[in-house]
Amino acid sequence: MASEKKGAAASIGGFFKAIGNYFSGFGTAFAKGDAFVKLSALWMGAGYARRKQYVKAVIMTILEVAVIAFTVTFAMQYVPKFGTLGTVKMEKVFNMKTMKSEFNDYDNSFQILLFSLFSFVVWAAFIVVWMKNIVNAYKLQKMEEAGEHIKTFKEDLHSYIEEKFHITLLTLPVLGIVVFTAIPILLLIFVAFTNYDQQHMPPTELFTWTGFTNFLSLFGGGGLTTTFSYAFVRVLGWTLVWAFFATFTTYIGGILLSLLLNSTKTKWPKMWRTLFIVTIAVPQFVSLLLVRNFFSNGGIVNTICANIGLTGFLRDIGLVSTSYIPFLSAPGWAHVMIILINIWIGVPYQMLIATGVLMNLPADQLESARVDGAKPFQIFRKITMPYMLFVTGPALVTDFVKNINNFNVIYLLTQDVYTTTNQAMANSQAKEVDLLVTWLFRLTQDYYNYKMASAIGIIVFIICAVFTLIAFNRMIGNGKEEDYQ
Amino acid sequence: MRKMKGNRLSSIVMHNLLIAVLAFIWLIPIVWLACTSFSSYSGMNTSTFFPKEWSIIHYIKLFQPDTVAQFPQWFMNTFIIACVTCVISTAFVLMVAYATSVMRFPMRRPLMNLAVILNLFPGMLAMIAVYFTLKSFNLTNSYAGLIMVYSGSAGLGYLIAKGFFDTVPRALCEAARIDGCSEARIFAQIVIPMSRPIIVYTVISSFLVPWMDFVYAKMILNAGISEKYTVAIGLYKMLDKSLINNYFTMFCAGGVLVSIPISVLFMIMQKFYVEGITGGAVKG
Amino acid sequence: MKLKKVLASALAAVTVLSSAALVNAEETINLTLWGAEEDQTLLGELVEEFKAAYSDVTFDIKIGVESESTAKDTILTDVEAAADVYSFASDQIYDLVNAGALIDLDEYAEALTMAGKTLDDVKAANVASSIEAATVDGKLYAFPRAADNGYFLYYDSSVLSEEDVASWDSLLAAAEAAGKKVGMTLASGWYNASFFYGAGFTTDLNDDGTTAIDWNGTSADGYTGVDVVKGMLQIASSPAFMAIADGDISNQLAAGGLCAAVSGTWDAITAQEAFGDGYAATKLPTFTVGDQQVQQGSVAGYKFVGVNGYAENAGWAVLLADFITNEQSQQKFFDQRESGPSNSNIIDSDAVKANVAIAALAKQAEFGQTQTVGGKYWDPAQTFGELIAQGTLKADDDAGIQTALDTLVEGVTAPLE
Repeated sequence: MASEKKGAAASIGGFFKAIGNYFSGFGTAFAKGDAFVKLSALWMGAGYARRKQYVKAVIMTILEVAVIAFTVTFAMQYVPKFGTLGTVKMEKVFNMKTMKSEFNDYDNSFQILLFSLFSFVVWAAFIVVWMKNIVNAYKLQKMEEAGEHIKTFKEDLHSYIEEKFHITLLTLPVLGIVVFTAIPILLLIFVAFTNYDQQHMPPTELFTWTGFTNFLSLFGGGGLTTTFSYAFVRVLGWTLVWAFFATFTTYIGGILLSLLLNSTKTKWPKMWRTLFIVTIAVPQFVSLLLVRNFFSNGGIVNTICANIGLTGFLRDIGLVSTSYIPFLSAPGWAHVMIILINIWIGVPYQMLIATGVLMNLPADQLESARVDGAKPFQIFRKITMPYMLFVTGPALVTDFVKNINNFNVIYLLTQDVYTTTNQAMANSQAKEVDLLVTWLFRLTQDYYNYKMASAIGIIVFIICAVFTLIAFNRMIGNGKEEDYQ
Repeated sequence: MRKMKGNRLSSIVMHNLLIAVLAFIWLIPIVWLACTSFSSYSGMNTSTFFPKEWSIIHYIKLFQPDTVAQFPQWFMNTFIIACVTCVISTAFVLMVAYATSVMRFPMRRPLMNLAVILNLFPGMLAMIAVYFTLKSFNLTNSYAGLIMVYSGSAGLGYLIAKGFFDTVPRALCEAARIDGCSEARIFAQIVIPMSRPIIVYTVISSFLVPWMDFVYAKMILNAGISEKYTVAIGLYKMLDKSLINNYFTMFCAGGVLVSIPISVLFMIMQKFYVEGITGGAVKG
Repeated sequence: MKLKKVLASALAAVTVLSSAALVNAEETINLTLWGAEEDQTLLGELVEEFKAAYSDVTFDIKIGVESESTAKDTILTDVEAAADVYSFASDQIYDLVNAGALIDLDEYAEALTMAGKTLDDVKAANVASSIEAATVDGKLYAFPRAADNGYFLYYDSSVLSEEDVASWDSLLAAAEAAGKKVGMTLASGWYNASFFYGAGFTTDLNDDGTTAIDWNGTSADGYTGVDVVKGMLQIASSPAFMAIADGDISNQLAAGGLCAAVSGTWDAITAQEAFGDGYAATKLPTFTVGDQQVQQGSVAGYKFVGVNGYAENAGWAVLLADFITNEQSQQKFFDQRESGPSNSNIIDSDAVKANVAIAALAKQAEFGQTQTVGGKYWDPAQTFGELIAQGTLKADDDAGIQTALDTLVEGVTAPLE
C-alpha cells in the first residue's frame, strides 16, 4: 500500500519538480544572458538571428506575430467578458421592409467561456514556448562563447527524427487530444461553477458564475430533489458493480475462448473465429436494439417462454409477478441480463485481442513447461495468465474506466424500455439500471441541467481518479516494463 | 495404444462440439436479424422466430431511396468517413504508443498520467463543448468535423498498442541504433512490421467507430438533411416511434448489409493473424 | 435605459440603410424547414407552391427531417443552428418559448399582410382550443397545423358492441369473454393523466417554471386521488387488460391479441389491418371512481408550425409557416397523410367526419384538455403509471396509495435546477 502511494506521489512530485526546474532554468537564462537573449523576450527571433540561425529566427517571428494577431482579433472579443460571462441580452426587432429580424450585438455566455478558454490555452502554450525560446537563446550564447558548433537548420530538422523523434510523434496526437478532449473537459469543469441550466440557456439567456453553489446543493444544501443523494449512491453502486463484472467477464471469457479456438484440437479454427467475429461486425446499435426487442416484455423470447411454460413455472416459484418475464424491465433481471448481453458482444472483442497477444507468448517457456510435464491448467495459470496480465494489464484498467463510462450498452438496452418503479429514483430522473454517464446524459439532454451534470461529473471523476491512478501506477510503475524485453 | 487414440478422438469431438454450441448461442440473434430482414411484413414480428412469409422486398426498397431511407448514399458517406478516420486514428495510436513505449524523455510519465486522468472524465458530458468548438470553425454538418471528432482524441487509446510494443525485444532496437538507424527508421522498419496483430486490431476498431456511433453523428449532422446521414443515424431514425412499424424490417435489412462488408474485412484481417503467428514463432 | 435608446436609434439607422439597399438588390432568401420524415414529400410540394405564390422573390428553401416528437431536443441543443421554420408537438411549446426558439407572432404579424391576411384571420380559422394551446402568457407563438395529437379508443366491432365500449367494466368483461385483451399505455404521463383529468384534477405551470399538480388531494369534482388510483387499479388488475409500453401499441395491435386499444391516429392503419371489417373507433370509456362512473379524460395534443427566434429572414419564415398551415395545406395533409386538421372548416367537412379515427378523436375532444406541465412531470408520472401497471400498489391499501401520490406530487413540483 505504501509503495503504491509513493508511486502516485512520486509521479506527481516529479511533475512539479520538472516545472520548478523549468522556471529556474528560465530565470538563469534571462539573468545571465546577453543583450540578444534579453531582446528575445520582446522579439523572439533575436537570439537566433544573432547566432545566424535565420530560418529559426523567421519562424519564431512569424509565430509571435500570429499569436499577437490572434490576441487582438479573436481573444480580446471574449476574454474581457470572462469575469461576467456577458451582460448584453439578445434583443431583436422586425423590419418589415427587409422582412428580416434585426439583432443587437448580444453576448453568448457559452461562447465567451469556450473562446476565453481557447485563448488561455493558446497563451499558456505560447508562454511555454516563449520561455523555452529564451533558454535556447542563452544556450546558443554559451555554445558560441565556448566555440562549439551551432547546429544548422538542416541539422535541427534532423534531430526531429532522432533524439527529438518523440516530439514529432506526439505533436499531432496531443494537439487533437487538447482540442477534442482536454478543452471540452476543462470547459465542463468551469460550467460546474456557473448556473448554466434550462433557465439560463444561451443564446437567449445569459449564465454567470455562482461559485460553489452547485456543489453545496449536491451535498444537501437544498436545491435538487430531496431524493437526489439517494439516487446518486445507488447509481454509483451499480456503476461500479457493472464496471467490475463487465470488465472481468469479457476479459476472462475472451482469453478462454481464444485458447479454445487456438487449441490444436480445434478443427477449422478460422471458420469458428469468423462466426464469433460476425457478432461484433454487426454495429452495436443494430445488435443491441435487436436484442432489446428480442427480450422485450412482448418480445419473441417471452412468447417462446410462455409457450413452453417457463413463464408459468417462474410465476409459480415466485420469481416473476407479471404475465411476462421482465428480462429488461425489472431491477435484478435487467442487471443480470445487461451483464450477460455484454458478455455476448464483449467476448469476441477480447478474444481478438487475446489472440493477438498470445501469438507473442514466449514459445520457449511453453515448451520447457511442457517438457517438465506441466498440465494445461498449470501452464495457463503459471505462464499464460501472467503474460496476458503483463501485456494487457494497463488495458484492463482502461477497460474498467471505459465500462464506467460505457454509454452505448446501457443506453441502447434500456432507453425507452426500462421504467423504474422506485418513485424516489424517478423523482431524481434516475433508474436502477442507469450508469452515471447515462444519468448525466439524460440530465443534459432532457433537462438541460448542465451545471449539475458537470458538478456530478467532477465528483465521479475524483472518485475514479483516486482508484485508477493507484492501480495504474502499481501496474506499470514498478519498472516491470523491461521484464519481458 | 488404440484406446489412447480413441480417447484423443473423443476429446477432439467434445472440444469441437463445445465450440459449436458456443457459436450457436452467439449466432442466435444474428440469425434472427437475417431472417427478419427477409420477412415480407414491414413491422416487428413478436410471435414467431422465423417470418411467416419470406420476401426480399425490403432489400429492394433499401436501394430505391425514398425520403426516409437513402441507404446507398448513407453507406458511401459512412465508408468515406470510416476510411479517413481509420487512417488518422491508427497513425495517432501507433505514434503515441511508440513514443511512450520505446523512447525515454522527461515528460513521458507526466503525459501518461495525464492521459489516464483525461480518460476518466465522462466523455458524454464534453459532447456539447465539442459541438460548439466544431461550430465555431464552421465544421458542423460536415464530414471533416465528424472525422475530427472520431480521430482527434484517438491518441488516448494508445495503451493496448503500448503494451504490445513493450514486448518487442529492446535488444533489436539497440542493435539498430548502434548500426546508425534513426529513431524514425527503427519505428517504421523494425517495430511496425513486427506489430501486425496490434495494427490489425487498431485498424479494425477505428474503422468501426463511424459505423457504430449515433450520438455524436446525430449531434453534428443536425441539419436534418437525410442524404448527409451516416448509416448509424439513418438506421437509428427508422426506429422512431412513428416509423418503426413501416421500417423495422428495412432496419434489419440495413443492419445485415452493413455487417457484410465489415465481416468480410474481419475475415481478410484474420489472414494477418495467421502471419502474426508465424512471425511470432520466428521471433521467439 | 440609455442602452435601449442607443440600440433603438442604431436599429433605426440600420433600417433606413438596409431598406435603401434592398431596392436594387435581387437577394436570394434562404430558409430552412423541418418536418417529420413521413411528411417530406408533401412538404416538398407545399414549398414549391409557396415559391410559386411569391414568384417575384428568389427563394432557396431547404427541407430537413426532424420528427415533431423530438424537435425540442434537437432545437434546444443549438437554437441558432435549428431550422427557420419547424413543426413540433404542442407539449414542447413552453420549453421552446423559454429558450427563445419561437418568435412572438404578434411582433411579426405585419408580415402576414403580404399574404393578405392578419393574425386574427389565423386565429379565427383554427379551432379555439388549438389557438389556446399555441398561446403562452397571452401571446401566440405558433401556427396550428393539426389537432390529431391525442388518443381515443380503437376497437373491433365484430367482438365488441357499442354498449360494451361505453365503460371500462363492460369493455373488459366483453373482452375477457371473447378471450381477447384491451391494451393501453399506463407508464406514460401523457396517457395516465387521462384518468385524473377525467375526474377533475389539474396540472398547471407556475411563473417560475415549476409544475403545479393536485392529484394527491381532492378534485374540483369532489373525487379523491386515491379513488382515481383505485379505479385505475381495478382496470389494470383485470385479466383482460394489457399494460403496454409506450410506443409498443402498434406491435401489439399487429400481433393480433387485442380487441381494443387506446391510441392515436398514428396507429389508424395498423388498427385497420388488425381489425379488418370490424375496425371502429370511439371516445374513451367511463371508469369507476368510488361508486360512480366518470368519463375518462384525455390530453388534447396539436402539431404546430413555429418560426425560430433566431431566423434571419423571419418575415418570409412567418409567411412560409402560415402557408403550410393554411386551409388548403391542411386539406392536403388530411387527404395525403390522414392528418386530423385544426382548421374549423375542414373539421366540419363530410370527408373528415367519415374518417373513423379522426371522428373518434373529435368525439373525445370534448373531454380532452391541453396538458400544461413542466419538465419534472414526466419521469415521476411514468413511474407512477408503471406502479399501477405492475400491481405494486394494492387497491385495499389506501395509505400506500396516498403515500405514492404524495411522492409523485413531491417529484413533479420539485424546483427547477
